[in-house]
Amino acid sequence: MTDARFDETIHAPVRLRTCGLLRAVDQLDFAVLRDALEVSDATLSKHLKTLASAGYVAHTKGASVGRNDARRITWIALTSQGKSAFDSHMRALQEIATPKH
Amino acid sequence: MLSVMENNFTHPSAAEAADALQELADDRTHLASNIRVPWPLLAGFGALAAWWVATAASTTPGENYEPPITGWLALVGVFVIAHLIRREIGVRFSKMGAGASWSMAGILVTCFALFSVSLGLVSFGLHWAVSLTSVAAFGVTTLLSGVAFRSAIDKLHND
Repeated sequence: MTDARFDETIHAPVRLRTCGLLRAVDQLDFAVLRDALEVSDATLSKHLKTLASAGYVAHTKGASVGRNDARRITWIALTSQGKSAFDSHMRALQEIATPKH
Repeated sequence: MLSVMENNFTHPSAAEAADALQELADDRTHLASNIRVPWPLLAGFGALAAWWVATAASTTPGENYEPPITGWLALVGVFVIAHLIRREIGVRFSKMGAGASWSMAGILVTCFALFSVSLGLVSFGLHWAVSLTSVAAFGVTTLLSGVAFRSAIDKLHND
């Protein structure tokens, strides 16, 4: 079982929600993630950059027949380090939300 | 104000932690509910199945029977359509769920059964009847592909 560890990098609201959505799938298109979070491109890019700097997310440009470069799909995924950190953070949140008496 | 917000980020209360967990569940529900079943592309799976079953009409069942190579081409087509579906919806599922596994098994069993029936019909000279098994393959494959896709969405929603 994953140990509980509160992660300040993950816990900022947009980054927490980003990791939550990415943890549920293998990969998400940048545009789908942006729409799900209801944030701007710039906001999401900024938070993804922070998560990428921590080694928690990775992105790949998808091949796109019939699309120009500006419309290429960018796939975002949690790295194994990111999954582990998010799982630990979730355990920490659960422990905070339901304290043992 | 900023220091209060920063404090909430580093030391959330029980209520704030519960709210954060609830918001994550809501996000997942929102994402799942926004994914539309791509029926035209799923019909592509059905078309491939129909094409493969239809190739039975051009074979010669018996001792000299040679399986058509269209099976391999259809398999390539399956991968192409799966890629197009991922690109269309912008989601690569990590888990498809038990319903998807059963649906895919159902598609395979049904297509092999319909192909065998088609070979039988051809051996009796009933080439025209293969069109019926081909249409059945299209319908069953498209329907079960939809069930598999719904299963993946439900898995995303419920996990």
